[in-house]
Amino acid sequence: MIFREVEDRDLISKARKGDVEAYNLLVSRWERRVFNYLLRLTNGRREDAQDLSQDVFLKAYQNLGKLDDPAKFAGWLFRIAHNEAYSMLRKNRPDDAEITFDPVTADASLGSGGRMFPVELSLAVQRALERLNPDQREAVLLKVYQGFKFEEMAEILEIPVSTVKSRLYTALDLLKTTLTPLSTR
Amino acid sequence: MACQAIDIKAYALNEVSPAERNEAELHLKTCAECREEFVRLEFVQSALMTGLREEEPPRRIAFVSDKVFEPTWWQRFWASGSRVGFAGAGLLSTAILVHAFTRPPTIIQQAPPVPAAAVAQVSEQEIQKRIDAAVLKAVARIESKQDLNVQQVLAAAEKKYDMERQALALVVDQNQLLQMENRKMYVQSAGLVKQ
Repeated sequence: MIFREVEDRDLISKARKGDVEAYNLLVSRWERRVFNYLLRLTNGRREDAQDLSQDVFLKAYQNLGKLDDPAKFAGWLFRIAHNEAYSMLRKNRPDDAEITFDPVTADASLGSGGRMFPVELSLAVQRALERLNPDQREAVLLKVYQGFKFEEMAEILEIPVSTVKSRLYTALDLLKTTLTPLSTR
Repeated sequence: MACQAIDIKAYALNEVSPAERNEAELHLKTCAECREEFVRLEFVQSALMTGLREEEPPRRIAFVSDKVFEPTWWQRFWASGSRVGFAGAGLLSTAILVHAFTRPPTIIQQAPPVPAAAVAQVSEQEIQKRIDAAVLKAVARIESKQDLNVQQVLAAAEKKYDMERQALALVVDQNQLLQMENRKMYVQSAGLVKQ
């Protein structure tokens, strides 16, 4: 990670001077993470996530000069991604289906003998995440999947650290009740 | 539920200072509730990481050169390696001009003869300086090209590794599905035998 941070700094510096190839290399390093983050925010809509990813990287390129500290590129990039995703979701709000909670399938922790096979685990995780509200789900995505610290998440989401912790802790409590087998509850 | 002596969630999420980590580890040795809570939190994180695999974007994103984004000719020149030589030449020219306009008038008299050896030495020094500057410039250009090549090769290798890893994950998934089917058949056949 340290090696990559130094490399990213060089690429950012070159991209700022108009080196498009350097920027393309930077994009190739980050596009998968950004795409997957946006994919979860858009409830699995791949084309929306793809379109948003392109918008994010275009906006990032146009605003590279405003990035004060290249070491904070990851958080800065994800803040752009967060803002773009929420702009799109607000525009599409009338078309978005409400997340409904189906009590029959809610308890996804049971497998045969309490063990879960990988396909079932994947479904269970998806259902568990769908039970969270969008803010809680995003907190989990940024912390567990993207590995950001509380302070970085606060910058990305533009909220206090205490709010980040509150959302994340509530999300973990909900996920525990959904995912852990009955014997360990 | 865990006791409130430590922030067990912060500890499980690796958001504690070294001192807080020591305190938490000591506490976990004596508190069964917190230990249980910690195990649950670890399980949840592990399940989340295992249950949701990263997907490849459907299409790669790449930008092409566009005049809107290109720097002006001045920005390109100033960012290039020759700016050092340009700056030096600029300073020298300025110094010459300033000296030419500000020097006091001189009385014309026969100038003392300049030794031939001194003239030859100055010329040789100037020539050597120019050669050194040109060599430095060429070396810097080659090194920056090599760096770019290395970066491109590394990026290509990373992409290839990612694709291979995904292919392997797919094979593992399929294998596990087959195992699941086998178990189902075993259970069904066990049911038939009992009858």
